[in-house]
Amino acid sequence: MSATDRANRIELQAADRPIREVNDEIRAALADGREVLVRDARSRHNLGVGLPSASRVRFEGSVGYYCGGLNDGAMIEIERNAGWGVGEAMARGEIVVGGYAGMAAGASMRGGLLHIRGDAGPRCGVAMKGGDIIVEGRIGYLSGFMAHAGRLIALGGAGEACADSLWGGEVWLAGPAESLGVDARIEEPGAEEVESVEALLASRGLGDSGRDWRKVVSEQRLWHFESRDAKAWLMI
Amino acid sequence: MKAPYEYPFDPPSEDAVAMRDGAIEGRTAGSPDAYDAGESARWSPKAIADVHAMAQLGRYQLRGYNTFSRRMPSFDDLVFVPATMTRLPLEGYRESCETATVLGDRPGLVSEPLRLDIPIYIASMSFGALSANAKAALGYGASRVGTMTCTGEGGMLEDEREASTTLVYQMTPSRYMLDLEHLRMADAIELAVGQGAKPGTGGVLLGMKVSERVARMRSLPVGVDQRSTVRHPDFLGADDLQVKIEELREATGYRVPIFLKMGATRPRYDVAIAAKAGADVIVVDGAEGGTGASPELLLDHTGIPTVSAIRAAREALDECGMSGKVSLVAAGGIRSGTDAAKCLALGADAVMVGTAALMALGCNSPRYLADYETLGTSPGRCHHCHTGLCPVGITTQEPHLEERLDVPGAAERVARFLTAMTMEITLLAKSCGKSSVHNLEVEDLRALSLEASAFTGVRLAGIDRPFTW
Ligand SMILES: Cc1cc2nc3c(=O)[nH]c(=O)nc-3n(C[C@H](O)[C@H](O)[C@H](O)COP(=O)(O)O)c2cc1C
Ligand code: SF4
Repeated sequence: MSATDRANRIELQAADRPIREVNDEIRAALADGREVLVRDARSRHNLGVGLPSASRVRFEGSVGYYCGGLNDGAMIEIERNAGWGVGEAMARGEIVVGGYAGMAAGASMRGGLLHIRGDAGPRCGVAMKGGDIIVEGRIGYLSGFMAHAGRLIALGGAGEACADSLWGGEVWLAGPAESLGVDARIEEPGAEEVESVEALLASRGLGDSGRDWRKVVSEQRLWHFESRDAKAWLMI
Repeated sequence: MKAPYEYPFDPPSEDAVAMRDGAIEGRTAGSPDAYDAGESARWSPKAIADVHAMAQLGRYQLRGYNTFSRRMPSFDDLVFVPATMTRLPLEGYRESCETATVLGDRPGLVSEPLRLDIPIYIASMSFGALSANAKAALGYGASRVGTMTCTGEGGMLEDEREASTTLVYQMTPSRYMLDLEHLRMADAIELAVGQGAKPGTGGVLLGMKVSERVARMRSLPVGVDQRSTVRHPDFLGADDLQVKIEELREATGYRVPIFLKMGATRPRYDVAIAAKAGADVIVVDGAEGGTGASPELLLDHTGIPTVSAIRAAREALDECGMSGKVSLVAAGGIRSGTDAAKCLALGADAVMVGTAALMALGCNSPRYLADYETLGTSPGRCHHCHTGLCPVGITTQEPHLEERLDVPGAAERVARFLTAMTMEITLLAKSCGKSSVHNLEVEDLRALSLEASAFTGVRLAGIDRPFTW
């Protein structure tokens, strides 16, 4: 048996076991009200998908694609790096990535908090519809692409085409952006908004009142399909 | 040197050469007719109107409905060759013919495959493109005859979940309102990578239809012209898709089938790749497929016709040993049970209808004539779904229009239409000697044109050989 029971915590191995079996064991333990420690995550894909609220899981090592995808309220901690789509479509809960995150972290998420301690790859927060993403490092190119709502906060700045084609939502940068995307503009944040972002960061142990914030929002030129937008849409 | 020929009469005067006797003054070339008609094959009235429209709008035109291209081969280019001497027909009015259809039966991967009573279901058409009443009516009508509907791109509408006993949840690249609970309430999940009307391009919903309820479900500002992404946010190629499919299975406990819907472009390769990536059901939607709104040029100039796609898709599944494991659904331009039967014979396990189901609801029916006129059209010619001003309450979000669609009456029409389509299929199947509609086969068809034979590999009528090069 791969699971070792210690008080209220269950430890199990991912290693090269069938992922379905690993996830079934995680879900069973959580249903039992146990916390779960998954050892040797070995960059396996689809670990901890669709987990319920009021549950706690820690992955030792790095995880592959879609870890914590469709999260429904679980607190998930990943010791090292995460592959593509960590926390994609999360509705509620919290996911912390100790290292770097690959492409499309928090893609189309609707709520909850995704906290990445390192850098995030391209298209971080793509199509996001709510919740907060904090990236302590830098976010890659096309981050926030076509986001609808929510906050994407990057302390280390952003790559090219930041916040491209935003519908809504906000990208907060405490560092430089290589370039802004189509239909994105920088707006001076209000004091209350800054306070709210700083409070969120402080709650994560990242308090620092000296940051020079740039808030990127939608210029709303692409909200309507009119000829004056044709250039922006790269149609001519 | 030979002397030039001379007439044996005096050279005629210019006046004598000119056509007289009522000819139009000054018009020496061509018949008056050709001038008056002024028809150029290239500069058709439509081509001219298109330039005028682009010159004024500064963009291409968008519209709903489906392609008007006359170049598409038709299901009418194929006929059935029923049992005669080599085969025995079943009694059309007496003997039974199985219509039950199972999709996504993959032991070990899918614990609850879809079991439909008929081989036809309602295509994904979003709430947003359609009114809530239309969604509900399609759901009740489909439930009544033991088949299913699909959510479409805008998320799961409560009205539809309630109406449809079996409901496919569509995940498009935009992932509007993607919700774990909704995924788990669905009877199947469809990953859409394209659709026949506009393969390679994302969805469009013009602002007139982005009502408060639609906007809330899609987390969009009310009234924006929504143009969706075409690439999925978190997978790109087939290898990633395979991981994504596994994620969806994990999220839904390996309970429901995973569909992959594509526009027909290179079905021989695309279908093989989708099967390899682990889809349980592959939906191939031909170029004739309907749409709520698309750039018109894509309707007419992208994708391949449904008849041509089905054979290629089936051969692809045969070639990679996936026939019998992966189900194939065909769609695009299916108007009747006859069309559907031809799809089954060409190799589909089931078919899906969009536009035809809207017709059953009452699309293009001759009522509310003044409202058709306001749109600049008339019953039978309407293609104005994109405007949100559907005269009969189907493709609209305007409450006063939507209420014109009486849900119970419309549901019953859908149910009766699907029943009649099924009867058409069984009538043809029985004449071909089949005790199940799924036994229809290519051998039951003959092509009426070289083109149809060349596209499908179906044998030409009479000569009994497929056209080959
Ligand atoms: C009004 C309308 C809305 C549609 N919305 C969607 C959609 O949200 N997602 C999708 O994949 N296809 C959508 N389609 C395409 C259909 O799912 C289907 O592929 C097509 O209608 C089949 O062709 P047919 O209309 O000739 O039966 C829509 C079609 C129509 C007519
Ligand atoms: S009647 Fe309504 S659904 Fe039918 S083509 Fe016109 S607008 Fe579209």
